[in-house]
Amino acid sequence: MTIFNRNDKPADAAAKPPANDIVQPQKPVERPQATAQPLSPPAKTGASMPSVISKALKITGQLESTEDIQIDGEIDGDVRGVGVKIGNNAKVKGTVYGDEVELAGTIDGKIEAKKVILNGTARMSGDVVHQDIKIESGAFIDGHLKPEFGKTGSKPASVSTLKPVTSVAPAPEKSIEARH
Amino acid sequence: MFALSRRSDTRTAPARGIELPPSYLRNSLSIRGVLEAECELTIGGKVVGRIAALKLIIAPGGHVEGDIIARDVVIGGYLRGRVFAPTVTVEETAHVDGRIFHHTISVARGAHFDGRMPWRPVSYFETLDQLPETQP
Repeated sequence: MTIFNRNDKPADAAAKPPANDIVQPQKPVERPQATAQPLSPPAKTGASMPSVISKALKITGQLESTEDIQIDGEIDGDVRGVGVKIGNNAKVKGTVYGDEVELAGTIDGKIEAKKVILNGTARMSGDVVHQDIKIESGAFIDGHLKPEFGKTGSKPASVSTLKPVTSVAPAPEKSIEARH
Repeated sequence: MFALSRRSDTRTAPARGIELPPSYLRNSLSIRGVLEAECELTIGGKVVGRIAALKLIIAPGGHVEGDIIARDVVIGGYLRGRVFAPTVTVEETAHVDGRIFHHTISVARGAHFDGRMPWRPVSYFETLDQLPETQP
């Protein structure tokens, strides 16, 4: 009797493990290396953060972006962006193209943007081609201000439209594209 | 001019390197040229050219074509070129086509790697002040 009793229990136990055995193999397969790897640090991708070029970064070459750029470092080359902010101690040697360019640092070259803001700490050596400009007291400018943004470009549509802002709006992007 | 030549200085004063704010190049940004960073640099966009950084992270979706010199490199995106770094981490989302000169490396399961991973002693990286010519 005891033998039968004992046999019954292992039989029950044996009946369950097979079910577990089917489930279990999947767990060990998932586990080994996947958890051993740290989560990728770049997961900190912000939602609406601009690209940041910090003061410790120096770039020699061309930058192109379809979004905003914040520059605090040093760039030797052209910059193309939508909103370009050039910080206090930043230096850019080259042309800055954009929809909106805000300068608090130094540019040795040219700005071509629909809207240009020169802060009090700005130091601009070169021409500014703009449609709309704001210059704060203290800004240094050595160059010409040309309210010709969108007019001189190869864009025919922008040439025909002299006053309205709305119809010129699509023009900047195309004119930027054209200069690529 | 390169990060690695600076390495011996920054190692004695690591706080200096950490203080400097990191740079983040988002996926809409593409750069063609030379990048020299004395800070942490995260690339989510496209870079074609040479990169020198203290720490370089190629985020998933990032695309780099060129040579990299850094103290620490984390690759989660696409890389085609050479890496010279004592510490390298290749993540599972990485696609690497090239060679990684390293002292310590970890490669995640799932990473796509096509190339070689030559080991070098630490002294090799300390004396590295410009990109060496290697056989293709």
